[in-house]
Amino acid sequence: MTHQMHAYHMVNPSPWPLTGALSALLITSGLMMWFHSNSIFLLVLGLITNILTMFQWWRDIIREGTFQGHHTPIVQKGLRYGMILFIISEVLFFTGFFWAFYHSSLVPTTELGGYWPPAGIKPLNPLEVPLLNTAVLLASGVSVTWAHHSILEKDRINAIQALIVTISLGLYFTLLQIMEYYESPFTIADSVYGSTFFMATGFHGFHVIIGSSFLFICLMRQLKFHFTSNHHFGFEAAAWYWHFVDVVWLFLYVSIYWWGS
Amino acid sequence: MLQNLLALRQITRRTISTASLRQFENKVPEKQKLFQEDNGIPVHLKGGIADAVLYRATMLLTIGGTAYPIYLLAMASFPKKQI
Repeated sequence: MTHQMHAYHMVNPSPWPLTGALSALLITSGLMMWFHSNSIFLLVLGLITNILTMFQWWRDIIREGTFQGHHTPIVQKGLRYGMILFIISEVLFFTGFFWAFYHSSLVPTTELGGYWPPAGIKPLNPLEVPLLNTAVLLASGVSVTWAHHSILEKDRINAIQALIVTISLGLYFTLLQIMEYYESPFTIADSVYGSTFFMATGFHGFHVIIGSSFLFICLMRQLKFHFTSNHHFGFEAAAWYWHFVDVVWLFLYVSIYWWGS
Repeated sequence: MLQNLLALRQITRRTISTASLRQFENKVPEKQKLFQEDNGIPVHLKGGIADAVLYRATMLLTIGGTAYPIYLLAMASFPKKQI
């Protein structure tokens, strides 16, 4: 059997990039069918194939790293760069929504009454649920750091407990936001205030769900002994993503909830 | 008295958490042996029959599913003439 003479990872040919790209086609054309032809079949098919692709692709990465040992230090470095670049791209994504918010709120048009919040809009009190949400996410940032230190110190039980606390706080945030959305006196259709509010907080909430799911996978892996004290990049990536989600919320809270009221 | 109470709390907490975790054994070495076997099987199929089933289902749904939007595109490209 031939062996490689370098520390890099030449992956086995994989079908998941193809199925991923096709699932994107099904999702986009599914959206068109839903908007124009009142049918959700293609969209649902697209979402299912997307989830199947993500599950199998990331399962294979775990196999390649934890079970086959392909994640040498240099490969891990590449994965770190990759995660950092991805998070930067997400920062730019949110920058767009913040730009839209400041564009509309710094120079409110005459249709809005010339002031912000616009005429007729009763904004949410930033000192009520939004402040609780801020505390919840800040606490979850502390607990995810507790989890990291536990992993570094080979403390299995504390790592598991800390991950459970972090995920629970994430779920609590999501439930509180769902309740806020339901009780909100304004909707997405209520002028540019509603649009900017729900686009920015909506995408943020989606990212909280993604981050919570990523942390949940880390919990499963920690239970199954995948992480060692000196090699646990999957967890670090999840923790970085979680801190990013927390920081976006802080910007949302200060800009939209507090200054914007 | 207080020290005894605190000690009791610590013991129950530890017992509760370790009791439910005892069912988890470290199966990583077995998995390492399975996935490092020199059988030429690519990583996405190397786990067994379940991998093949999931792979086939995913390919069927994506490639089969792609035929439908292509058909819709063909239909949408040639608008029906109005009498």
